[in-house]
Amino acid sequence: MAKGYRQAPGKGGDKKRTDGKRVAGQQDFGVPGSGGSNPHSNLQDLDYVPESVGGWKKQPRGPHVHDRHITGMTIGKSVPLVDSNWKITGQAQYGDDIRLPGELIGKILRSPHHYAKIRSIDVSAAEAMDGVFAVATGQDSVNKFGVLPVTKDEHAMAQDKVRHVGDLVACVCAIDEATAIEAMNAISVDYEVLPSIHDMEDGLKDSENPIHDRGKYHIGESNVQKRVFQQFGDLDGMKKAPYVHESDWETAGLHHGFTEPHAVVAHWDPSGRLTVWTPQQVPHYLHRGLSAVLDIPMHQINVHRTFVGGGFGGKSDPFPHEMCAAILARKSGRPVRINFDREEVYWINRGRHPSRIQMGVFADDEGRIAGIETDALIDGGAFASFGHVTTYYNGVLHTAPYEIGGFNYTGARVWTNKPASGAMRGHGAVNSRCAVEVGIDAVSEQMNVDPMTFRLANLLPPHSRTITGFRVTSTGMRECLAKVREQSGWDEKFRNLPLGKGIGVGCGFFISGSGLPIHWDPENFPHATVHLQCDMDGGVTVHTGAADIGQGSDTAVAQAVSEVLALPLDMIRIRSKESDTAPVDLGSYSSRVTFMNCNAAIKAACELRDKVLKAAWEITGYNPDVLVLGDRRIYYKHDPAVGVSWLEAVHKAQADVGSLIASGAYRTPPMGGVHKGAAAGLAPAYSFSAYVAEVDVDVETGFVKITKAWAAHDCGKALNPLAVKGQIIGSCHMGMGQVLSEEMKYGRDGHLMNPDLLDYKIMSVHEMPDVVPIIVESNDPEGPFGAKEAGEGPLLPILPAVCNAIYDAIGIRIDELPVTPDRLHKRIEKHCRKIGIDDPLDLPVPRFEAGPLQQKLAERADAHAKRDHLRDIQEDRSSYVNGVLFGFDPDKPMAEQKEGWREAVIPTAEDLADPSKRAARAWGHVERRHRGDD
Amino acid sequence: MRMPPFTLHTPANLSKALALATELDNFDWVAGGTDLLPNYKWHLNPKPHVISLGKVSELTALSGTVIGAMVRIHDLAKSEQVHPLIRETADTIASVMIRRSATVGGNICLDTRCYWFNQTEEWRRSIDWCHKCDCDTGADCRVIPNQNTLCVATYQADLAAAFIALDATIHLASGAGARSMPFAEFFQLDGMTRNVLKPGELVTHVTLPDDAMNWQGAYQKLRLRETWDFPEAGVAAAWKVEGGKITGLRVATTGCESIPGDHSELAEAAIDEWTGKDSIQKLAEGVRKAVKPVSNTYFPPAYRRKMLRVLTRRALAPLEHL
Repeated sequence: MAKGYRQAPGKGGDKKRTDGKRVAGQQDFGVPGSGGSNPHSNLQDLDYVPESVGGWKKQPRGPHVHDRHITGMTIGKSVPLVDSNWKITGQAQYGDDIRLPGELIGKILRSPHHYAKIRSIDVSAAEAMDGVFAVATGQDSVNKFGVLPVTKDEHAMAQDKVRHVGDLVACVCAIDEATAIEAMNAISVDYEVLPSIHDMEDGLKDSENPIHDRGKYHIGESNVQKRVFQQFGDLDGMKKAPYVHESDWETAGLHHGFTEPHAVVAHWDPSGRLTVWTPQQVPHYLHRGLSAVLDIPMHQINVHRTFVGGGFGGKSDPFPHEMCAAILARKSGRPVRINFDREEVYWINRGRHPSRIQMGVFADDEGRIAGIETDALIDGGAFASFGHVTTYYNGVLHTAPYEIGGFNYTGARVWTNKPASGAMRGHGAVNSRCAVEVGIDAVSEQMNVDPMTFRLANLLPPHSRTITGFRVTSTGMRECLAKVREQSGWDEKFRNLPLGKGIGVGCGFFISGSGLPIHWDPENFPHATVHLQCDMDGGVTVHTGAADIGQGSDTAVAQAVSEVLALPLDMIRIRSKESDTAPVDLGSYSSRVTFMNCNAAIKAACELRDKVLKAAWEITGYNPDVLVLGDRRIYYKHDPAVGVSWLEAVHKAQADVGSLIASGAYRTPPMGGVHKGAAAGLAPAYSFSAYVAEVDVDVETGFVKITKAWAAHDCGKALNPLAVKGQIIGSCHMGMGQVLSEEMKYGRDGHLMNPDLLDYKIMSVHEMPDVVPIIVESNDPEGPFGAKEAGEGPLLPILPAVCNAIYDAIGIRIDELPVTPDRLHKRIEKHCRKIGIDDPLDLPVPRFEAGPLQQKLAERADAHAKRDHLRDIQEDRSSYVNGVLFGFDPDKPMAEQKEGWREAVIPTAEDLADPSKRAARAWGHVERRHRGDD
Repeated sequence: MRMPPFTLHTPANLSKALALATELDNFDWVAGGTDLLPNYKWHLNPKPHVISLGKVSELTALSGTVIGAMVRIHDLAKSEQVHPLIRETADTIASVMIRRSATVGGNICLDTRCYWFNQTEEWRRSIDWCHKCDCDTGADCRVIPNQNTLCVATYQADLAAAFIALDATIHLASGAGARSMPFAEFFQLDGMTRNVLKPGELVTHVTLPDDAMNWQGAYQKLRLRETWDFPEAGVAAAWKVEGGKITGLRVATTGCESIPGDHSELAEAAIDEWTGKDSIQKLAEGVRKAVKPVSNTYFPPAYRRKMLRVLTRRALAPLEHL
């Protein structure tokens, strides 16, 4: 007889199997069964219950507000994703798997020109063809849409001009694909070709035909879509700093490279409602977009998210092809399916922005980071997409994890005649973070200080306010650095390896959920809402709009509910696919889902739990205060034999009301500054990470092979360590692609040369290094059970870690991504010529000799480690203020303490004086409404 | 992505295949299909008829000196009988999955490749087509405009370099009879004509000289990833060492021009005054100078040329101390 409590006491005999396995039709449970795959209920697993509530789980950083909801069921345990069997057995239905009776196939006619006016479109031949059911053009969809309410600049199909090769012009639907293609080719379009721009710096200039016209808000006559300026701190002090590393980075545009091409099915049902099946990361914004484009109320639309075959930010815009399918379905009266070919995926793009980033990292005599100065020009392609936010993120996410003396950021995003850039894993932070971390490495070298020590001596402590006013709660940065330093054998290897072998470190910092929802009206709307329903069977159905895009959000929310209610995971059913049944959720972007959705789920589960506990009280006579939930059973704290099964309690609670329902929601707390742009980069929590990478560089060919990576990520609390490790390893792969091989290559005529997976070089399994994922848990006070994000942040540090390792191996500073063999070979040749050697095998390797600052910084790092530990465990959560390291009094306004202290969001003429700064040139234009010329 | 419709013929033996080929005037042979079918999906010069060689058993011979055109690359790479240089080379082709279908004959007859050519129909429409697939527009070459005589698409098959280095002979057959020639003479310097095959003619097999097993060799391949990628440059070298002296040396390149390069004259000249490292260096420089890649593949041509020097040196490394 197995240990534990039989779910239905008195039921079931000895002949029943006791190994926990179910026999079809012979379940061991009384009728109706109480669920779960084990017929015996277990006591709480105290290994996973925190010390603060009587368990054995150590809490080095103190208790958490959610500790009392921990029942030891699944939180902190590695569990396979709840939908993994669907995927592994090939039964998951992705966009292209949806088949409706009577479906038509839609095809999209695309622009062959980079930039052209449409004089006329003749669709008569296409419409007359047998088997063609409908043809649509821009005239069928005049309403604008766009993911950000402030920059709606897209249409389902081109209105008067096309803006890049592959821009949508018209669409057809026909009985089969061959007919649709034939009809598409029968549409004739008369274009007037316009001069196109492809280089982002050309976007800064005045143009006769700006790619978009924003009316009175247009910035001069230029193609500048967004410009940002932020100056904070003691910039005079920064400029006087003795250690300076300035670099000029060029980083290529990237595509997400997800496996599943876009696919959509649209159908208007007999009651006049539209259902759209699509692999969307952000179904809610599509819902809004469809409503705007089709001119129908949102309640007439059901957005059905299919399984998503990878998103990474590339499926988070509402897309024109989704509008096209709906328009064609409306015109034809039949379901319409549109599947993308791979090059169409590249044409719709929304990948990482190509950028030119001028980065200055300054350090003073005390080994403090006197400032970070960034000028970032980013290439937005033909549409705004998320670019407004990206322009901010390229700068504002530099303000942590280090304490800095000054922050000077100018950013600009321009339109060019290329596929639109958008959000991609590590949105806006990746390129510039790489530049910062390489700069940190370089100034450490100038100071003769170990870059590990330099970083450790300049970290913001837990519960800090950054220079621009971000509220940092938990941080595990210090522990991440310490762990990778120890596990990689850093102290023995750094600057000690032979030519061609190198080791490097890089850090990352990322938001865990955007504090400002993209659609912030109405203002008091929650970011995430979860509904629970528990009927007579005892299982719990979770209704959530969170989009599982493979990151495992269904699993995370199931775990949160399972944990609070002490039910096994197989009793939790997730319904997250349809907007008809799911409460509004803002979607899977900005690494917000676990943080926000699980917080909402915990609230909902607590509400449901309290109803069941009340019933258990009525049955057992014990007050809920002394009742414990343990695996489908509620029992008296001091005598587990006295209790009631979950099912009995649920049935009691259902008397008179029937099915139990509960609801929970999450909103971020008010935070941040008041300056323009203060909300960009604001998040309820931030993740931190530190990686060490080891590389082999072939100095004769320029090939770089990453041999091993130690990857420490602070995710607050690993709700599911298996999933977190998967995210870390996956991020390493993706980041490795960006640093070594992936790029969208444009030919001399501006054509995208590699819109396919053979020539867009995603690294293969052969190139994948051994990654050692290291989970650091900083126990975030507001995160669900202490958790923060692990989906995007882990990508950031691999890039600078590799760049710094290349320097360690061959003494060449990287400032161009990707570091393809041909690029690196060119740099090696140049470097050899510069130092006067013929054979690259004779290259000198950088070596390290500790300077006088090393000891001082090591001592400061030790003192700060103690400070940080105290701040972790003390109850006072008031913020440490950036600037204290520089001698400022945190209780007085900085500006009163230092003459020349700046807090500016509009540049002066002096700020723009340097003609070599690119983004600064965007500020040379005057917005039309301020020009006074009309 | 749809292939244009075509009629598939599957003759049961070689004579039927050749007879069919004389009847049809516009067709492609298909062996493993790993090159042809992706090209068809992109509407690159598709034909109304396709003759499959899948059932033609005469083309599957495999021994130390005879390699049939329909031998799968995977079998070639794994066969103990095959010359080690051929095995080594075969093992670098594409990926495991592709090698299971791809054939020796298909690899030899691989269509030449170019950034402006290996694209979808919609993409090529956006550049107004190109010389190699002009869709009856008379379009110019997009790599080197205004020359409009030869196509400069790159020949990116690995096996050719190894076969040339081993002095192989290629055997062809058509309704008019069989013929054979030294491997390097099979190719014609034009990315569209590509080789000497006449309409209705096919490659039946490749033979190696009887003493091939006395030759050793090495293959060096430049590509970004260790799988999938076509060679951006490839160098095969084969040598015969007798009594501590090099008595034969042949070097061939691929992936650099519209045809593979045979540099055996350079190599033969080098062995007369062999001084080890210096000779290798000089020979490598000679190979670099002998080929002129153009900008139509992933890596820039200047880099590919420079890498030829490194690859040649690395391929010949075993001869450093002779």
